[in-house]
Amino acid sequence: MRDALPPDGGAGGSADPPAHHLHVVGADAYPDWEAIYRDNVGRIYGLMFAKVGNRPDAEDLTAEVFVTALRPLRVSASVGEVRAYLLATARTVLASYWRRTLGREMTTLDDDVADVFAEASINEQAMARARAILDSLPDRYRRILELRFLGACSLREAADELGVTVGNAKVLQHRALRLAAERGM
Amino acid sequence: MRGLARYLHDLLGQRRPRRFRAAPEDDAVVRTAIALRAARPGSGQPREAFVEELHERLATQARAVPHGPGLSERRGRTTRRQFVQVASVAATAAAIGAGVDHIVEADGSGPAPTAGATLTPNSGRWQPVLASAELAEGGVKQFELGSVVGFLARSGGQVAAVSGVCTHQACRLAFAAQTRRLNCPCHNASFALTGDVVTHQLKIAPAPLPHLPVREVDGRVEVFAP
Repeated sequence: MRDALPPDGGAGGSADPPAHHLHVVGADAYPDWEAIYRDNVGRIYGLMFAKVGNRPDAEDLTAEVFVTALRPLRVSASVGEVRAYLLATARTVLASYWRRTLGREMTTLDDDVADVFAEASINEQAMARARAILDSLPDRYRRILELRFLGACSLREAADELGVTVGNAKVLQHRALRLAAERGM
Repeated sequence: MRGLARYLHDLLGQRRPRRFRAAPEDDAVVRTAIALRAARPGSGQPREAFVEELHERLATQARAVPHGPGLSERRGRTTRRQFVQVASVAATAAAIGAGVDHIVEADGSGPAPTAGATLTPNSGRWQPVLASAELAEGGVKQFELGSVVGFLARSGGQVAAVSGVCTHQACRLAFAAQTRRLNCPCHNASFALTGDVVTHQLKIAPAPLPHLPVREVDGRVEVFAP
């Protein structure tokens, strides 16, 4: 999978209006760096979490983006320019994270630049993406992944829920993830 | 497989995943796991403590640089080049959404997103809206005067009033304290408290919000309205 959501947003989506992308008008600017930070920290963090899937790394990468970007940033730049610059920085930061951890860019920021500051929250976008993945799976595979990834269940809890042994749950999770990965590609 | 299994184990716990030598067939599994993990409710929300710590760190950094995180003469050249890049990134970002419409620049055609005209009714009078003390520096208050609704904002000691009705199709605007913008619920346009258009999704930018004559007399804020 390439992190792209099908245009229809997957099954079971709410009746949200189509995601129009907001235009940022050049004349608007932030009053100071703190405004830049407050307005964007949540989005950048959410974006990083969506790309690395864990809090410690998402926090580090968010910090890296702001520490790097705010240094040369001209506060009088427009909101649009500031956000584009933050995203450009985030893209570089993420790419270098993957190079130094798993050696390849597992996720990138290429495709969703326009989505980051859209109205739908990044978490909603992540939910829709996960939904699309899960809905393509057989029932038990879907259940184990829901319990483990979305529901934060331990292997034991998930096994009890499904009425299987811990060993079985482990195998089920492994197979489900493989299948989801294949379908997602 | 050992490395991948441990990676997934860390990801599912709240730990930092350890690096491992990923085989090519692991890529899709890693991506899928991240996509699923990111959908856990509340995942995209930063911890408050983290936001404050980073704020503190950036404040320290800003103090250390004499000109703050702004543009210094010495670095002007570099910054300018960076901003050329930024401009093209912004253009690319806009182009992605451009199937629907186009970006409106300050110097583009169409209504200029500069401050709107002042609304001066043919026959009006100065009407008290609230006590001056109720509008602190940086404060924003909504007001209604029968035929006119709007927002008052105090900045640099001065009070300004803008219309509270969207110039696109006349929906009532709502003030978002976090972004300090007036948002239109109908088509997602947003305006600065100066009346300038900040964002919109329309083919043609809506006009900026009209200003209303406002004054402070005897500790009261008054708006000139019909």
